[in-house]
Amino acid sequence: MASKLSTRKDLFPGALELMVLQTLKRKPLHGYALVRAIQASSRDLLQIEEGSLYPALQRMLKEGWVNARWTTSDTGRRVRAYEVTLKGLKHLSGERERLGQMFEGVRLVLAMVEP
Amino acid sequence: VNPFERLRGRRNVDRDLADELGAHLDVRIEELVGAGLPLEDARQQARRELGNETLLIERGRDVWRFAMIEDAWQDVRYAWRQLVRAPGFTAVAVITFALGIGATTAIFTAVYAVVLQPFPFHEPDRVVAVGEQFVTGSLSAVSPGNFEDWRTHAKTFSDLGARRFVSVNVSSGTTPERLVGVAVTASYFSVFRIPAVLGRTITADENRAGRERVVVLSDRLWRRVFGGIPAVLGTTIRMDGHPYTVIGVMPPQFDRLGGPEEFWIPVVFTPEAIASHDGHSMYVVGRLAPGISTEQAAADLSIIFHRMKEQLPANTEVRQGIVNEFAAEVVGGSRERLLVLFGAVALVLLIACGNVAHLLLARGRLRSHEVALRASLGASRPRLIRQFLSESAVLAVAGGTLGVGAAYVAIPALLAIAPEAIGAIPRLDQTTVNGHVLLFALAAIVMSALLTGIVPALRASRLDLRTSLSDGARTLAGAKDTLRSGLVAGEVAVVIVLLAGAGVLIRSALYLQSVEPGFDGTSVLTARISLPEVGYEEPARVERAFRGLVERISQHPAVDVAAVSSSVPMTPGTNHNGLVPEGKAFDPSNFVLGRLGVITENYFRTFRIPLVAGRLFSVEDYREAPRVMILSRTAAQQLFPNENAVGQRVACCESGPDGAPLLKLVVGIVGDVRSNGPHAEPPADFYLPIQQAPAYTWSWFQRTLTVVVRGKTEGTGILTEALREAVRDIDPTVPVHGVATMQQRLQATLAENRFNLVLMLLLGSIGLLLSAVGIYGVIACFVAQRRHELAVRMALGASPADVVRTVVTHGMRPVWLGAVIGLTAAVALSQTLASSVYGVTPRDPVTLVAVVAVLIVVAILANLLPARAATRVNLAGLLAG
Repeated sequence: MASKLSTRKDLFPGALELMVLQTLKRKPLHGYALVRAIQASSRDLLQIEEGSLYPALQRMLKEGWVNARWTTSDTGRRVRAYEVTLKGLKHLSGERERLGQMFEGVRLVLAMVEP
Repeated sequence: VNPFERLRGRRNVDRDLADELGAHLDVRIEELVGAGLPLEDARQQARRELGNETLLIERGRDVWRFAMIEDAWQDVRYAWRQLVRAPGFTAVAVITFALGIGATTAIFTAVYAVVLQPFPFHEPDRVVAVGEQFVTGSLSAVSPGNFEDWRTHAKTFSDLGARRFVSVNVSSGTTPERLVGVAVTASYFSVFRIPAVLGRTITADENRAGRERVVVLSDRLWRRVFGGIPAVLGTTIRMDGHPYTVIGVMPPQFDRLGGPEEFWIPVVFTPEAIASHDGHSMYVVGRLAPGISTEQAAADLSIIFHRMKEQLPANTEVRQGIVNEFAAEVVGGSRERLLVLFGAVALVLLIACGNVAHLLLARGRLRSHEVALRASLGASRPRLIRQFLSESAVLAVAGGTLGVGAAYVAIPALLAIAPEAIGAIPRLDQTTVNGHVLLFALAAIVMSALLTGIVPALRASRLDLRTSLSDGARTLAGAKDTLRSGLVAGEVAVVIVLLAGAGVLIRSALYLQSVEPGFDGTSVLTARISLPEVGYEEPARVERAFRGLVERISQHPAVDVAAVSSSVPMTPGTNHNGLVPEGKAFDPSNFVLGRLGVITENYFRTFRIPLVAGRLFSVEDYREAPRVMILSRTAAQQLFPNENAVGQRVACCESGPDGAPLLKLVVGIVGDVRSNGPHAEPPADFYLPIQQAPAYTWSWFQRTLTVVVRGKTEGTGILTEALREAVRDIDPTVPVHGVATMQQRLQATLAENRFNLVLMLLLGSIGLLLSAVGIYGVIACFVAQRRHELAVRMALGASPADVVRTVVTHGMRPVWLGAVIGLTAAVALSQTLASSVYGVTPRDPVTLVAVVAVLIVVAILANLLPARAATRVNLAGLLAG
């Protein structure tokens, strides 16, 4: 069984932010829900560590990519929910394009036929 | 973005994060419980997954601010509160730092002013002093002919300028004044590339006869005598009876080149002087062409010498060129001696740092509980190290500020105490606390903070939490304290190096004070008298004036005996001639370089210089009588080794009617005189009676002789008046200058020596005191930590003497180690003192042994005090506690 990838050491810088933005695009979520959502959408391949997530969320708040609001969860709990901003969406689309090019480039190089 | 959200500040960020993490935990626990876990297990697991909450909050907070700066500020405030809470500790540490940093900064101001400060002209690195290599091998003055050859042919210089010191009588006010200036070529100014601030400098055209009566004033002279008014341009000054037109005033920075001159006039080379290639009177400065080294320039000059050889008159020797950095020529040996002082003060600072480091270590131990607590509550190790560093930084900044402030106040006071040192050490008068000094002080503060802070910080942050927290730290841990033993050993080593240096300099100073100068200068007054050229063109007239002066002053009731001489010990105005014993070729290879003294009969009596053999001069040695001379013992030895010099003849100084050098009969031998100060070997002196002085010497001397007057009593005040009166009688336009007692002249030659000595004594004492306190502190701490062990030993029957022995033996171990290291280092470093000490070798065994002995005695005392205290502990109280 393949070991899980940890967000702390195995991802490139900025990847966590992109995943958070993409996840929040569907609906606002609080921290723990984000952990679960990303884990689920990566089919358990990615394990988000809280030690990385919360500082990342603070960074994104500071950049203005997300907003945070204290709300009540489905289970009636007071939670801090994050929602993506317009600026966050712009950043996401720009980065997606850049990433796509990068992956395509890497794929092409790796697909090179050996002599 | 909600701007308000940002403005809510850190407290809200923290609280939001804390709440958020709490919510996170709750959701997770809920989920785990839902999956069937017992509540307590669920709680634990959730916490484990989340990790260190404090750290998360800190990292979250870090995102929002300049974490480093804010942390540092917080650390500083925390350190400040801690230090204020321990005023005794803080005071000792701050004062120690103030001493170390203040002293280092004070010495650095002098080092900067004298050595490091760039000279105030364009590209000072390219300006050089140029000279001929004569018999002595060192840089000596250049003949006008050679200078002209160089200037015409040398490709390695972009400019070459020559100067010759002149002094003139100026009668601008009521009393005539003697001014020192230089006669220069026009190119002299272009070497330094400093333009006149008012008017202009000298042009090449004015270096010709008939055009030379112009003068450029220094800023100093302009302000002092002419009130600093621009209208001085175009006015006429009578110098030595000739009218000179003021054409310019130089800026103040030109006064800071290190020379005494106050004005510049054009020098005029006669065609005959240039052709003769003789009369080595010019001091040459040059500006090197771009990319040329001093060696290349010197080689260039030597080549020119050889190439011009054919054109030189017969009997003119071919010399080598010497090119030295101008700065090195001006600053000279003061540079090395100041750097030695600087090294010494750096050692004092090291000792101070050692002491504060130890204080912090001891405090660190006392605070190990607090540190362990903070660590367990989530403070990261870098954070703890920063905390400790900020404590030492606060101490260093406080101490440094205090020290620099004290230096700022003390420097003028120190310079006021040592006025002769200002004369003896070039540019010392420019010592001030300036931006460079403050920058240096800042560097010293940072260094001190790091040196003292890093060790205790690292150590405290590595504390074993369990032992510290369980309060079981009263074990023998202190006994194996290599770190602190290292501190003691290091301090001992450093202080031995310091004291060895100070000791050797003290021995050298004592030697210099005890050296017999070869003359008795008590109650002897000296003054320089210069006759103008106008009215004194005839040598006979000059001679008559001086003889008349001596006669007149000798009649004064307060005067015992008086004379004049062209060369008086430790007084400016020396001239040298080549002497050759009869029978040897008159060739530079046979020269004994003699220091010429043209004297009246009573010169030796006035100075009580003993007659060793033969006779002194008398009135019989008049102008037309056979030529005679008196030699000093050293001169006689060099001219006639293992022979009686009296009755022999020596060729020197002037040519006879046949063109051959004139022979003079040696009629007497007198004792040696240390004319250049107690630290220098006596030169080879030879004396001629004033009646027989070769005519050209009067222009060499510029008709200036030194009057020496021995009073009947100790006081010399009345002699000054008598002298002025006598001179007024001879010629009221002639000024009396350079008035000083021989004691003053002797002190002046030793001024730099004394300056260094006082500072070394001061630094040595501070170093010894600090290290004694340091050793005492460490030992006291050792003992304090071993109180339990020692109490147990005594309870088990050890006598107080046993305990004292144990403590002292243990405490002395690092001292022995430090002594060995220190001795080795002192011997290795001793050569740096070579140029500063006289009459004692730099690795003087007596000094080294004495220093080590003093230090060991101090160390034993520092050990005994706490050791004896240890025997007086209250056994019951301690063991019960």
